[in-house]
Amino acid sequence: MTMEEFLIFGLGWAGIFLPTALGAIGSILGCARAGQAACGALLDVESGYGRLIGATALPSSQTIYGIVVTMQLNRTVTSEAAPGLFALGLLVGSALLLSAVLQGSCVASAVNATKTKPEVFGLAMVPAAIVEGFAVFAFIFAMIIAGGIPGGTPGGTPG
Amino acid sequence: MPYPVSYYMLLASLPHMPRTFDVEHVPISRLRLEQRLRMLSARDAGTVEQVQRFWLWDRQHAERTDQEVREEYDRLMTAIRNPLVRNIIAFRMDVRTITSALRRRRLGMAPPEGVGRWVDQIHRHWDHPDFRLIREHPWIPALKADMEANVPLQAERRLLQVTWNRWTRLSDDYHFSFEALLLYLARWEIVDRWTRRNEQLGCRRFETLLTEALGAHAPSHH
Repeated sequence: MTMEEFLIFGLGWAGIFLPTALGAIGSILGCARAGQAACGALLDVESGYGRLIGATALPSSQTIYGIVVTMQLNRTVTSEAAPGLFALGLLVGSALLLSAVLQGSCVASAVNATKTKPEVFGLAMVPAAIVEGFAVFAFIFAMIIAGGIPGGTPGGTPG
Repeated sequence: MPYPVSYYMLLASLPHMPRTFDVEHVPISRLRLEQRLRMLSARDAGTVEQVQRFWLWDRQHAERTDQEVREEYDRLMTAIRNPLVRNIIAFRMDVRTITSALRRRRLGMAPPEGVGRWVDQIHRHWDHPDFRLIREHPWIPALKADMEANVPLQAERRLLQVTWNRWTRLSDDYHFSFEALLLYLARWEIVDRWTRRNEQLGCRRFETLLTEALGAHAPSHH
């Protein structure tokens, strides 16, 4: 295998796994941020602990979207498919990573706002839900575009 | 590798600051605040200690010469690297210098030596009602009016309000960061200063009422 082939196939395989990897990194950071804020808030509230901790799981969904996109991209890597796999994997993975991290910040703010006004919990979570919406857009269009990359088969198994 | 500080946890563990400093109690007691601040790394704790020492120095009503104030200001500005802490100290010292200039002019004295950015400006425009600082410090005419009306409580409240507004505005730009914590502490300091003042007034009022009620049998207070 030449250096050029190594690079092309390497990037192709990386593109397949990038949505899962970047989505997971984003979920780790987002859930950690939200979780730390929830732990802090526990020191300052007398009730509603479960709700605060439960909200911190919201940035987990990006990992699930990443796994599904990876399954859809999974195919035999060829020199025709590799550029598309890499570009799509990198871009959708980046979108998932960023949305998870910033969703974590939104949840942290919601947790903080809910401390003194528990009744605003639902409303305070709306910004986090909006950020989730953009992750869903990136996910759906990645699924659609993945069908146009050479080598794909229905169901996303290697062709 | 030191354990990374979670400002998310620390700031979420602090109760919300009230909308105004004119409240009856601080949102969190000093003891509990100190407990929460133990989450900070040694470096951040050092910076917080620097700014807290400045506030303590600023609170003491000891008579100080201009030379002593200048030396303290220079010492702080040499020792402190954090830009926001420098901003907090510089603004407070600017307010002190301008207030001192207004007082001295009212008493017919010479301009103060003072410290901070506006010393030269004050010297240059000594005869101008607001030292031509209205754009940077729009509160000067109101404070001057308070001084002329001889209402020191209102003047003090106004100065705290000016500082409070500045920290509140700045805090809009920071969330879950060390800067957000510093601005929280800066506002806590103002609330604490105000509530302690109320406590002292309350104690004096209580003593007066006690004296009136007990007449000649009232205990003497020191």
